[in-house]
Amino acid sequence: MRVERGCIVNADPDTVWKVLSDPDRYPSLLPHLERWETLTEGPLELGSRYTVLWKIGSIPVGGVVEVVEFDTARDLAWINISGVTHRGRFRLRAAGPSRTLVTFRLAYHSDGGLLGLIAARVAARWVGRSLEESLENLRRLLES
Amino acid sequence: MASVGDALEWARQQVIARVPQADLDQRDPDYIRDRLPGFWLLASLYFRADVRGLDRIPPEGPVLLVGNHSGGNVAPDTFVFGLAFCSYFGPERPFYQLAHNLVTVYPPLRWLRKFGAVAASQENARLALESGAAVLVYPGGDYEVFRPSWQRHVVDLGGRKGFVRLARETAVPIVPVASVGGQETALFLGRFQWLASLLRLDRMLRLKSVPISLALPWGLNISDLLGHIPLPAKIVIEVQEPIEVDGDDQAVYDKVVASLQAGVDRLAAERRFPVIG
Repeated sequence: MRVERGCIVNADPDTVWKVLSDPDRYPSLLPHLERWETLTEGPLELGSRYTVLWKIGSIPVGGVVEVVEFDTARDLAWINISGVTHRGRFRLRAAGPSRTLVTFRLAYHSDGGLLGLIAARVAARWVGRSLEESLENLRRLLES
Repeated sequence: MASVGDALEWARQQVIARVPQADLDQRDPDYIRDRLPGFWLLASLYFRADVRGLDRIPPEGPVLLVGNHSGGNVAPDTFVFGLAFCSYFGPERPFYQLAHNLVTVYPPLRWLRKFGAVAASQENARLALESGAAVLVYPGGDYEVFRPSWQRHVVDLGGRKGFVRLARETAVPIVPVASVGGQETALFLGRFQWLASLLRLDRMLRLKSVPISLALPWGLNISDLLGHIPLPAKIVIEVQEPIEVDGDDQAVYDKVVASLQAGVDRLAAERRFPVIG
């Protein structure tokens, strides 16, 4: 299941990147965040690991993630090491002077056969709302 | 000639002989991972569950989780909390639940052992804690779980303090887990302990009560041995702050009950309607 949301913010990609590459920003950026722990010291970079759990439906869902793509002011992507199987990505593209199209994408897979498929589809509603709220928080932070 | 007493004693020995010793290896993280999505659906859509405060549980090492129990023999608080724990810490973290003897020997429920259900005994709990696992126990057990529905927000562990001794001897912290909603999954009318005593079920099967309730699909449900279909009551669970075992048994017990009751009161105050939440 792949869920994607996007929005245009009034800031250039470098400014957006400064926020997205700062791990301390995420607790205020990601809504319904139940757990955020830095597992690797130093700045966010290729190979950085974090424990991330969002409340999706009734319970926190997530696990340990590792940054696998770190293309400055363009792409930040991660995959899970433990917990729910998923890939995530922030994609930044210039959309005019001092404007950036930010895409937040989450692709995930649930174990458990048919019930897993149904759960993934049902969860998409909650996941989509979380992505929208994250982008809204980002926009508010950058445009305030 | 064999008396009724002899027959009951024989039946008791048969039950005891079938209660398995805890085999911690029966817990299977891969099996749990496969079942989590189905449980997530049930918890999120049917019970509209809400689990809070998991960050209060020590992130690693042994811990004794002590909860108030509700919902008869189909207690949704156990599976909702189990789901939340496994999701928050990952199925890889060892986590065992102490269950009534009958639950662990009842053939249709043997799959619960793969989730970490072990027969409730001091020995099994100690074995699990000493292996470094988190252990969930409901001291009120079959006594608390069948309290009348109008006492649904009363924590009643029945004075059972074995968990305090267990925590003291294994030097692990106690983390109270308060929940509401379970006692609204049927209309529980009472425990009828005098009937259990009359039928000697307390000695034979460790059943302290013969509960009577109005529940689906039976209507009048006596004993709840076959379970029931729970009403879709909203289940809310809140983990409380850890409690160190540093006083005498009664003082620690009182502290745990007070913590649970305060949590239940807080959650109950948020509730506007029974079942709906």
